[in-house]
Amino acid sequence: MALVSLINIVKSFGEGGKVLRVLDGITLDIGEEFIAILGPSGCGKSTLLRIIAGVEKADSGEIKTVGNLVYGFVFQSPTLLPWLTVVDNVALPLIAKGVDKKVAREKALKYLSLVGLNGFEDFYPQELSGGMRQRVNIARALVVEPTILLMDEPFSQLDPLTAEALRAEILDIWLSGVTTVKSIVMVTHNVEEAVLMADRIVILTPRPAKITKIIEVKLPRPRDRRSKSFQDVVDQVYEYVS
Amino acid sequence: MLDVVLLVLASLASFGRMLAAYILSLLVAISLGILMARRRTAEAILMPILDVLQSIPILGFFPIAIVIFVSFLPKSIGLELAAIFLITTSLLWNMIFGVYTSVKSLDPNMFHMASVYRLKTFSRIAYIYVPAARAAIAANSIISWAGGWFFLTSAEVISAGSEEYKLLGIGSLIMDLYSKGDMLEFYIATAVLFAIIIASYLLIFNPATNLVIQHHLLPAWHRAFYYIYRFVSIVWEHIMHLGIKFESKGMAKHNMVIAVPLLTLPLLYINVVANLQKSPLFILEFMTNFLISLARVSLVVVVSFMITIVMAYLSLVKGLGPIIAIVGEILASIPAILWWPILSPLAVKASWLVSFIVFLQGSLWYEFFNVMLFGVPKIKMEVLELAKVYSIRGFNYFRYILIPSLLPSIASGALSAWGGAWNASIVAEYFESGSTTIDLGGVGSMLSKYTYGGRYDIVLYTVILWALMIVLLNKSVWSQIFKRVEKSFVVE
Repeated sequence: MALVSLINIVKSFGEGGKVLRVLDGITLDIGEEFIAILGPSGCGKSTLLRIIAGVEKADSGEIKTVGNLVYGFVFQSPTLLPWLTVVDNVALPLIAKGVDKKVAREKALKYLSLVGLNGFEDFYPQELSGGMRQRVNIARALVVEPTILLMDEPFSQLDPLTAEALRAEILDIWLSGVTTVKSIVMVTHNVEEAVLMADRIVILTPRPAKITKIIEVKLPRPRDRRSKSFQDVVDQVYEYVS
Repeated sequence: MLDVVLLVLASLASFGRMLAAYILSLLVAISLGILMARRRTAEAILMPILDVLQSIPILGFFPIAIVIFVSFLPKSIGLELAAIFLITTSLLWNMIFGVYTSVKSLDPNMFHMASVYRLKTFSRIAYIYVPAARAAIAANSIISWAGGWFFLTSAEVISAGSEEYKLLGIGSLIMDLYSKGDMLEFYIATAVLFAIIIASYLLIFNPATNLVIQHHLLPAWHRAFYYIYRFVSIVWEHIMHLGIKFESKGMAKHNMVIAVPLLTLPLLYINVVANLQKSPLFILEFMTNFLISLARVSLVVVVSFMITIVMAYLSLVKGLGPIIAIVGEILASIPAILWWPILSPLAVKASWLVSFIVFLQGSLWYEFFNVMLFGVPKIKMEVLELAKVYSIRGFNYFRYILIPSLLPSIASGALSAWGGAWNASIVAEYFESGSTTIDLGGVGSMLSKYTYGGRYDIVLYTVILWALMIVLLNKSVWSQIFKRVEKSFVVE
């Protein structure tokens, strides 16, 4: 059953003479699954993610949701406030909601330890490595106890080794069911990453973005990048990536 | 003999006035700065207005102060509020611009983050905007605090029409003692004033600035500041906490409406002027005087630039920064009118020199602190090392290394210095005490004479023309300078 249904979403930017259409009639059901949205840079993937999160409005189209969904958002760059400690950065969404500071911090600590940052709560972001900062970003997305986790190219700014480790951890956290997350929508331009992680891969065309193809990845987890079946899916995806 | 009780009371009164004006400025600067940075319409409307207001000297605000506070309220309260309002007009503008620039230059991702996690106004103020603007607020507070003292005497002696009211305060006390000829007492009171100024920097503003820019750039007494800091943070956190609780329950309206009173001020001006009769003779008088002042102000801005570069060199290369900074803080804070008595041997014989010194005090330090607090910390070490490796010295060092590295801060400092110099013209071109009157002409002198003569109609007229000329010059000269600086010298 779909948690979120996007129906014919259209979005343009600009005003006056220069109007740039970025999303051209996107229709998609998001169920309890891991969806990767794959498309070239600048095709409007991030805009789609922000429309799902409700921080940007579509020009036309409809979004249907089941009940009151909570969204967590993992940004491409960590986007941490340099003047707050790690624990306060994670607790911020709760504090802004009026949650008692002590309670908010306790919850933040719980999710920090889930992403492997035990003992770093009193550090400032600039004292952490890039990978650790991205973990804080993930912990902050989880602290609001989201139903849907939205991730905007979350591994693209990390070195390959760190990125691979973090991918495995995200999958672990999701599959183990220790969090409230029911589905994950990840934007990426990395085909192998999409095949490694997702249940379904939604392939977009260059701007204005339309859905060319949705590919189901039925490989069992954990997936092995070197296996023949994995490569077959990768090849299949490449056929639709222009 | 000097009345000690009177001296203490006067000092407390002045300090209290300054503090009230400072807190008011801080709150208005935070609200308006954020508003302008986040709302296009607010930016479009307020930017040009603030640009003009910052070049209008304190005396230009007299008519408004009188109309708003003195005519409607009981004298004792009204005059006090008028004084606080007037001091605020010499603190506020650069603080607004400081907040505005900091919020405007925030990483756009921060705003995405804030909207994704539904941070509302108070959460954004408490966790994003104000922390982001801390350094700009601290650095601008140093300059503003000095600006307040610089014009203190002008705010404590309020002339309303034919009447003149002297408020109890150290500024008015010192002027009184001087005009009575009590030189010893004059010097004692001046020393007390210096002590207050120095203490306020060492205890409050310098340590606060060191803290937020994370450089021990300024001399300070950090131990005592800790308690002040604790107190202020607790108060601030409580206010923000209440605000966040309040808006999380969905009760708060998210638009700030502080802009309204400020918008009414220019309207008031226009209204009054519409009732005035225009006279070509007056315009001629104004233009002559304006050109005289323009020449002086331009010279002062150029000299300020040159002195600043030399001082930046001395701080950067010879490590004299902290000494120059504290000397600067004191010199910039000396009430402008005091320079005339302090330099009384020169006042009559070389009045142009004293005038120039007063101009410089009201102008130079804007340039200096802009460069020292915003430019110097951002100089790339590689550039300085490059100069060392290739032994670039002397003129070439200034031409190719120092000035280009500091240029953005030099340009914005020069614009503040320009505003400061126009402000200072009222005290640099005209001085009156007892039987001594020094009048060097110029638009500042004109404004002073008409204000103290109680001719508010002409004061208003002068201010309007003044504002027009400033707009013209800002649009033609300064915007060109900034365009060129942005084009050729953005070192990132």
